Amino acid sequence: MKTNYVKAWFQDALGIFNHELKNILQDGGVMIIFVVAGFLYPILYNFVYKNGILEETPIAVVDDAACADSRRLIREMDATREISIERRCTDMEEAKDLFQKRKVNGIIYFPSDFGDRLAARETATFSIYADMSSFLYYKNLLMGSEFVMLHEINAIKVERMRLDGLTDAQADASVRAVRYEDVNPYNRAFSYSIFLISAILLLIIQQVMFYGMSMSVGTMREENRSFASLPDTYTGHGVGRVVLGRGAVYWLIFMIIGIYVACIVPALFGFPQRGRFSDIFLLLTIFVTVCVFFSMTWTTLVTRRESAFLLFLFMSPICVFLTGFSWPTTAFPGFWKVFSWLFPSTFGCQAFINLNTAGAGLEVVVPQLQALCLQGAIYFILACGAIYVENFVLKYRAASQKD
Amino acid sequence: MAFCTVFYLTFLGDGVPSDLPIAVVDLDNSSTSRNFVRQLDATQLGRVVRYADYSSARAALQSGKVTSVCVIPEGFNRNIQSQRQPSVGIYVNGLYFLGGSLGWKDLLTMVNLTSGAVQREVLQMKGVPDSEIMGLLRPIDVDVHQIGNPTMNYGAYLANMMIPGMLQMVVIIVLIYSLGAELKYGTSRHLLDSVENDIHVAVLGKTILYTVLFTLIGWTVELILYKWMHFPLAGSLWQMLLACFLLVIAAESVAILIIGCVPVCRFALSIGALYSVLGLSLTGFTLPVEVMPAGLRGLTMMYPLRHYYAMYVQVGIFGSDFGQWYVYVLALLAFCFLPLPVMRRLGNAYRNLNYERN
Repeated sequence: MKTNYVKAWFQDALGIFNHELKNILQDGGVMIIFVVAGFLYPILYNFVYKNGILEETPIAVVDDAACADSRRLIREMDATREISIERRCTDMEEAKDLFQKRKVNGIIYFPSDFGDRLAARETATFSIYADMSSFLYYKNLLMGSEFVMLHEINAIKVERMRLDGLTDAQADASVRAVRYEDVNPYNRAFSYSIFLISAILLLIIQQVMFYGMSMSVGTMREENRSFASLPDTYTGHGVGRVVLGRGAVYWLIFMIIGIYVACIVPALFGFPQRGRFSDIFLLLTIFVTVCVFFSMTWTTLVTRRESAFLLFLFMSPICVFLTGFSWPTTAFPGFWKVFSWLFPSTFGCQAFINLNTAGAGLEVVVPQLQALCLQGAIYFILACGAIYVENFVLKYRAASQKD
Repeated sequence: MAFCTVFYLTFLGDGVPSDLPIAVVDLDNSSTSRNFVRQLDATQLGRVVRYADYSSARAALQSGKVTSVCVIPEGFNRNIQSQRQPSVGIYVNGLYFLGGSLGWKDLLTMVNLTSGAVQREVLQMKGVPDSEIMGLLRPIDVDVHQIGNPTMNYGAYLANMMIPGMLQMVVIIVLIYSLGAELKYGTSRHLLDSVENDIHVAVLGKTILYTVLFTLIGWTVELILYKWMHFPLAGSLWQMLLACFLLVIAAESVAILIIGCVPVCRFALSIGALYSVLGLSLTGFTLPVEVMPAGLRGLTMMYPLRHYYAMYVQVGIFGSDFGQWYVYVLALLAFCFLPLPVMRRLGNAYRNLNYERN
């Protein structure tokens, strides 16, 4: 008896599996989403963000001081990676005009008393005007000019102390009483692409699966073949078969896409891959499983083929922010923090960043994996419940139609 | 759309993160190092989280729990006093862009301030008057002006483009669906009959309704952004309202082009979705367009949002006059010609219903 049940279970699950697979393969729209979005999107995004570092931001200089010091500062700024002095203007009006026409993305201005103040041992101030239309312009202008400024400050101080009779070593020790070493091991140059791409790769998997599944589910609903219908032979039970049988199809497809997205794409684009393959594979296995149940639960709301796009397309960019890759998680308002727990991507992307790009071991991502497992369990129960309820409603409707 | 607006306006709080966790490993435990930690904790940005040793702090850094770590070496105080230049270790996780770079900046500032404090002490001991000390400590200073966003409000920066980006997305998807649904449910013939078989009138009639609707939504959002939230806007609000209206009609034209080329509702929707999601990245307000590969730079011109953004930069950031931004108005208007070549095709599809319905 027992073996019979298990055997029947597997036979049914396999039947459902085959049926679903056939459905997906025959549905052009779903295949477009899976193939185009699943395979092309990661490449496209990598291509867009291929050069993640903005270098040599064009800057205009207005040098009213025209002294040796200001000229040296300008030369040194021009030499930084961040800044390129494109224009030298005679007055601010000219520079402003270039700024507005977007020939330059910033202005550096040395007032006429700059040299005099330095000579008088007072604080000499120069001004920078940054274009805030993109934060990267601002970052470049600020970093470039601050590095040069700090370097100059130290040089000037050492020079003055030597004039006061200190030795080089003494002067240096007093100027730089505390030294520092800064290390930015995972993203050395603050490259935009490294941080963005590691956050969105797994998100692509989740979104593609969700849109694909809702398209397929919506079609079935339109044709009155519900995703939820159970084999008629089992009244009331058999939910597990349906969920797992159908889920297995998506799981298989997305493990393939997942390995492509998480392992092959980064390799194609020479993206850092510091994690161990086995760790990433484990993460993918859990993540894809959770995504399957997540999509199954939410697609209950989808009644038509197209409605997923109308209802949920705008969620994709929001999910990107919810992963906390840009705006720090600690600064999330409470409500959005809880809201972010709804999505597998929140934990999946964080774990992926840590494993793949920061090269952490599995022990570091344990909290995220636990959260994913918990999410998986909850969504599994919800998916079963949703299918059970829908099946019940369908049967009830069919029965009342007969009467 | 309302949800998105609420999201982008509330998610980022006041636009400047505060209480960012910064890990500190204090191996010295002297009065100087404790003072350093206290002052770091007191900065608006930072909140100190103490770790006993480097390896636990590093694990927290790797997991993104903290985005920067500061290691104060043993003998920090002693070495400062004897002018042996102790070195503070600063470790940053650059994978968390904003948190990492802000934490890094905060730590660098603190280290430089500590150096300054030590120098001031030395100078005071040598009897240099306070009035001269500042000039000696800081011979050069920089005065930073952020044009267009003086408070460096990240929320304003993001919402200014993300919300119009969402509007572009919603316009394209909804209009494709609205025009495609006629095909899908076979009601298009009826629609054509009611306008004497003129596809131009039919599409125009449908579009006018949506134009009014979306323009009103867009205007509401811009009023919220610039009047209620007081996000910086150098130019006149009317110019932004004009830009918003143009964005709506340009996005509608793109939608008609897509459904006209592919008069099958679900394919057109898939294409529209793929197109508009990519639009957010290609606008170039995060990663500037000039960094993208050359081939893509031309492609960015295909997005109405790109021209809207260019116009926003002129109006919102520089407050320029008509001469600087009329080009973008023309560019957005040029999108309106897109539907013309596909009108016949769409008309035939509407009349004959000879494409797949699903």
